[in-house]
This record gives sequence, structure tokens and C-alpha cells, in this order.
Amino acid sequence: MEIKAEDLNRVEKKDLFASGHRACGGCGQALAARLVADAAGENTIACVATGCLEVFSSPYPDPSWRIPFLHSLFENSAAVASGVEAAYKALKKGPVNIIAQGGDGSTADIGFQCISGMFERGHNVLYVCYDNEAYMNTGVQRSSFTPLGARTTTTPTGNKTRKKNLPLIAADHGIPYVATATVDDFRDLQRKVKKALAIEGPKYLHILAPCPLGWGHTGDLTVLMCRLAKDTCIFPVYEIVEGKVTNVQKVPNKKPVEEYLKLQGRFRHLFKKGVPTEPVAAIQEIANQNIEKFNL
Amino acid sequence: MEKLPLGLALDLRNVVPYKTGSWRTLKPLYLMQTPPCSHSCPIGNDIRGFLRTLADQKDYEAAWRVLTRTNPFPATCGRVCPHPCEDGCNRRDFDTPLAINSSERCVGDYGLDNHLEHKKDVLTQRKEKIAVVGSGAAGLSCAFHLAKRGFKVKIYEAEHEPGGMMRWGIPAYRLPKEVLSREIDNILKLGIELECNTKVGVNIPMDQLTGHYDAVFLGLGAQKGVSIGVEGQDSRGVFTGVGFLKDVHSGRKVQLGRDVVVVGGGNTAMDCARVAKRMGANVSVVYRRTRNEMPAITAEIDEALEERIMFRYHTNPVKIITDDGRVVGLMCVQMELKEADASGRARPVPITGSESVVPADTVIMATGQDVDYEGLDLAKRENKWVSADEQYMTSIPKVFAGGDAVLGLETVSAAIGQGFRAAMAIEDMIDGQTEGHLARPPVVFSRDLNTYYYQQKRRFAKEAIPVHERLKSFNEIYPAFDRDEILTESSRCFSCGLCFDCGNCLMYCPDNAVKVTQGGGRYEFDYDFCKGCGLCVKECPCHYIQLTLEK
Repeated sequence: MEIKAEDLNRVEKKDLFASGHRACGGCGQALAARLVADAAGENTIACVATGCLEVFSSPYPDPSWRIPFLHSLFENSAAVASGVEAAYKALKKGPVNIIAQGGDGSTADIGFQCISGMFERGHNVLYVCYDNEAYMNTGVQRSSFTPLGARTTTTPTGNKTRKKNLPLIAADHGIPYVATATVDDFRDLQRKVKKALAIEGPKYLHILAPCPLGWGHTGDLTVLMCRLAKDTCIFPVYEIVEGKVTNVQKVPNKKPVEEYLKLQGRFRHLFKKGVPTEPVAAIQEIANQNIEKFNL
Repeated sequence: MEKLPLGLALDLRNVVPYKTGSWRTLKPLYLMQTPPCSHSCPIGNDIRGFLRTLADQKDYEAAWRVLTRTNPFPATCGRVCPHPCEDGCNRRDFDTPLAINSSERCVGDYGLDNHLEHKKDVLTQRKEKIAVVGSGAAGLSCAFHLAKRGFKVKIYEAEHEPGGMMRWGIPAYRLPKEVLSREIDNILKLGIELECNTKVGVNIPMDQLTGHYDAVFLGLGAQKGVSIGVEGQDSRGVFTGVGFLKDVHSGRKVQLGRDVVVVGGGNTAMDCARVAKRMGANVSVVYRRTRNEMPAITAEIDEALEERIMFRYHTNPVKIITDDGRVVGLMCVQMELKEADASGRARPVPITGSESVVPADTVIMATGQDVDYEGLDLAKRENKWVSADEQYMTSIPKVFAGGDAVLGLETVSAAIGQGFRAAMAIEDMIDGQTEGHLARPPVVFSRDLNTYYYQQKRRFAKEAIPVHERLKSFNEIYPAFDRDEILTESSRCFSCGLCFDCGNCLMYCPDNAVKVTQGGGRYEFDYDFCKGCGLCVKECPCHYIQLTLEK
């Protein structure tokens, strides 16, 4: 399905994810979910895994979703979405946009095998991961997306491992479209959703969605956090089409990672007096590797 | 009871949404703020308003209407104003300030070219009559605003033509006389009566005015040149600065000779020097401090330097040397600068034995100006300037004053601003209104803006005609600007403190609590759902949204 450039670049505001949800003020995930739903349009089914998004947006009888919504378990939103797609095929209905959604825990840890299976079987589903880098719903526990050095309730002295790079893993399944995005650039995010939905086959979209509570910043800094994550090269924004990395967002003025880390409570222990500077240097090294890998 | 569809226990059609607005402790508000350009403008022009009109609507006429709400002289100010607005512009901290002055001139010229006429604010004519003394920038501005408010205004002018210092002081290469005349005619079209050749205090006593009119505004100006008092200053070939300019501009023949020395460092001195240069003389300027302390407009000094006018700094005249009653030279002494005096400028002290003679056929003493008080009895400030209170009222009741005579020597814009505010004060007095006007909202500074959303762009640069061409005539040195380029320039405006429809608040609200206003307006908050996170406040580029405490 071809999509016209003007449709692709238009900013969508359709209120398909309505007010009245119970997310914290300044929630990056709520913002991302609305941008995704508005970009996808009315002809969409959302299959959402357990997590913040499901909890705050779908309490009966007042859900925020103005599109069909299926809640699944923590681990199987990809499997449920695969089933929905198969059902549509069997009933010879459609076409319809099917979007499986989940937080980073359900995507990278608990639901990983379902996602891997969905990719491998080639279902026509877009999987959207809202990456807030920990299990925020249950009170900030470490996930395999938690970055190096970040404090969570299960890593009180800072996380010792580095973040799993799921976009590249997804791309290695040989799926046609993988992309990363952040909530600060809503034009880019909505463009990627529309572009992905126009492609036949499994697609993966990874959205950085800051969590003011878990990251330890005030709600008004959500957008700034995304911007700094990009500017410090901690979160590279790119697309992988048919296995090839393209449309990498260049970072002309690169900033040191301290600017990003210092604004967040979860990294505060790295900047206390007398703490060695190696952890910050290691995080900078990750950013440097990103610069090299993606030619930022 | 109505039977519900299978599987439903509750009728979802009757569900009331959960109002998350009750969580809020901070409340965002759309509030217009004062931009720094308007704040630093002596008139208080709506600079953001006219620039955004140009940028968004590409409508020169509408922009002219916005500007002339406060300033009846856009074409004049666009040429002669030292543009403090550009010093205030928040773009200064980002790349370069906007070319506000050039844009204003372009809009003013559009008004003149298309014969746009002022409209009155009120349709009814008021019975009160007001006399304005002097038709300079202050007087005409005051008359303009009073006439717009429906008053009957009559201007008394001592000279045979209106314009005051704008006509007799500012040379044509800065302000073509035609531009000035047309803007004045446009003001007079509001039904203002003008009586020339009538000097109040000489031809007509002040008492007659106060008795006959409901209020009087004095825009006397400072027309009298003051010499610093050196030996030989009554010789032939010695002029005061304003005297020289007036002689030239009223068409009198002035013999300058070969060498001209101008004493002083103010705007009058620069004008005298550049006029004399255009008359073919060799010009040098003698000033007792350095360039840094010169009170003249920086651009004027730069242009004078470009025109090969020689500056002798640290030099003070002590004696004019004459031969048979005619100037042949000016004896000067070198000065050294000591600690600052009351005016904050370094105090010059002569160095003994450093006297030298500068050859001169003409000496122009542009060293100060005074108010001409002939026939007027007014309380004075510093024994020099007219004393006026905050409501611009002088020592005589119902007699107001403004402009150079009150301020000391200031700019055209400052005089226009005073005339404007005096007009408001006069209206308040007549209406018996004692309450002050509403204070302006706070000023937006660079630190309040989110400049991530703006792009660096090159500033519009006005191009002067080459120096050797300039010096051949009194033609204006900056030719007319390209209107499309000015439109591009206006789009650089940050719109500090007023929405320019970027849509950030609408798109970034995680709670979907920003709505597009139906009909007019732009956006509004849905306080039923706004949680007060402040994201919109942070991401508003122009500081139009304020966070306040929830009551």
C-alpha cells in the first residue's frame, strides 16, 4: 500500500486516546499512546499488554480508548495480536491496522518469546514498545531495558548491566520495518507509525517514553529528557528497512552524557561527592559506541 | 429498565469521564506577556504585533494600522530612530536581533505610497478644545492622539512650516523632507487646525490659550543653540549647531569656506559635520572625551567616519582665532580623562601646555541646546528644562508639556512617546479619571523562551549607497527596501509572549487537555482533565503559557 508524502508528514490529532486516564502528570507513555493512536486512525485494533498503559487507560467503565482495545497478559500481547490478525484473515475481513503495544518489561523480558514468534511467523502486526527503562507499573523494578548505572528499587546501587538492544534483535528476525522514535519529535513518530502500517508483515517501533516517577524528574521535563537522550547519543533514532539502517537522525551538536544524567534522580548517586567517575565514563562510552555504530 | 447488550453490566453511554483535573496543584494559563522590544520602545509601539502581522498575514496595510495605533510617524522613525527595540530583542542572545527599524520604515513607506489614512478611534466629536504649542514630534503626536479620541485640536507653530526639529534639525540624507511632510499632512487630515507663524508668548499670550482652551500641551523643543563660551565666539564664521542646520534647511545661503571644525559629540554635531561635508568642506569634529563617551547615535558616528570626517578626541577648544573679525583657526587644548563625574562619563581635565591651533574657516559649536522661554513663565528643572509631573502637567494647571523641552535632548521617538502619554493624561484629566491605566504584563526575557523551536536565520542588512555617491548630494543614503525581504525578516520574530500557533501545547499534552478554540482564539485548556504537569509551559517557545498556583 503506497502512502502519499503529504499524508505521511501530516500531524494527526483525532483524540482517539481521550482525556481522563489515570497516568501521572507529564507521562511520556500516555503522550506516546495518544500520538500512536491518532496516527493509526479509527480503523485500528489495539492489543495492549499488562503494564502502566493498560492500568491507567482501561478501567471499566471509563476507558480512554476510542478504538477497539484488547487487554492481554503481561507476556502475550504479540500472540493475541497474531490471533486477531489470523482471525481477520480467516473471516476474510479487513484490512485493519493491528497494533500490539507494551512497555519495556513485557516487550524485552516477559513477552519476548511471543514477540519473537510473531516476527518469525510473519504476522501483519505493528508492535509498539513504550520504553521507559524499568517496570514502572509495579514500582520501578529493573528490566532488561534499564540502562547502565540507573537506580531502581531492585538495583539500589545502580544497574550493573547495559540495556538490551531490541531494535537490532528485531531487525535480525528479517522483518521488513524497524524504527526507533521519541515523544519529543511527534512529527517523526507519527510519520513512522503511518509508514509502518503501510508495510505488509511484522513491524517493530521502539519509542522512548520517559517516566517522571521512575526517572526522577519533574513532569514538565518529559520532552526535554527525550531531546537530551538524542543529543547525547544515548538513544539513536533511526529506521531499519529490509535489514538496512537508514534515515539516521544526525546529531550535529553532541552533548556530554552528564547533561542528560544530571537531570534525573535515578542517576543522582553517580554525581555524589567522592563517587568514582568510572560509571559516567562507561555511559559515555555507550554513547560513543552509538555514534560510531550509527554514524550520528 | 432498558435491556443492555449481551455481556454489559453497565450502560457505557451514561458513564461520566473521570475528571483528572482535580489532581492539579499547578494551573497553566494562556497569558499574553510584554515583549522586550515594546518594553524598550520609548513610544511603546506594538512591535510584535506589526511584525507578526507581516509574517503571518503578509499584509502591509494591516501592519501599518498596527503601528499607527501608537506612532503616527512610522516612515520617519523607521529612518531616524536609534532603535532601542533592537537592543531589547530576545533574538540578540540567539543569533542577531531583528531589523525592526528597517521593517518599520518599509511599513511606513508602504503607508505613504498607498495613501493610507488614519482613522479615528471614536466617531463622536467631543466639545472640549485643546491647544498644542509647537508642531514637532511631541506636539504632533499629542495632537494626533487627541484628535483620534475626538477632541478638537489646534496647533500653534512659530515657524512657517510644521515639523520642528524633524524639519529644521534632521538633514535630508537621513530624513527626506517629502517623507516628513506627507506624514504630517496625514496627521493633519484628522481635522487638526494648524496656525503657523504664531509664537505663543510673543504673538499670542499664554493666558489667552489657558482661558480659551480646556487644556494646553507645550511641545516647545530645545531650539536655542548654546555655545560653551570661548573667546571670539561672536566672530563671523561661528555658528551654533542648531543655527547652522536651520540656516541650511531653510534654504539660506551659508558660506563655509574650506575647513570646518565642529565642536561637540552629540547628534547635532554629527548632523552638522555631515551636512558641511556634503557642502564640500573639509570637516573635523573636536570632542573632549573619546568615542565611547559620545552621546550621538552609534550608527551616526559610524556613518560620519565612513564619510571621511576626522575626529579629534581628547580635544577642547579654548579660543577662536580671528583675523579682521573672521575665523581663521581654533586653538584647542589636549585633555586627559579622570574619574567619572555626575553624568557617569569620564571627567576631562586639560593638560597644560598642550595647546595647538586647528585651521578653520568656520566653527560650528554644537555644544548644547536650550528651551526658548520667551514670554513663558514656567517652573524649571535644573534651571534649564521644563518641569512636569508624572501626569505631564507643568506648574500651570491644565498646561501639559513633553518632548525635548522636558526630557532634555532626546530622540524623536522619545518625544512621540511623551506626546502620546500626555494626550492620555489630558483625556484622563478632562474625563476626571484619577485611576491609573492598567499596568503592563511582565516582560519576556531570553531565559523564559524555549529557543529549541527557532531556527537561526540571517538578519536583513540594509545597504547604503557608496560614500563617494552619498557625498555628492543630500539624497537619502539608504534606498528603499525590498518588501519581500522585509516579509522574510519579519518571520524571524520570536513572538515573545504571544501565541503564534506552533501547536506544541496541543500536541504535547499527555492528558489531551488542550483544545482548539472554536471560532477565533487559538487554544484553550480543558481544566476538567489538565493535571498541571507543566509540560506545555516548558515546551511553549514564546512563554505564552504561565504556571500559576491552583486555588
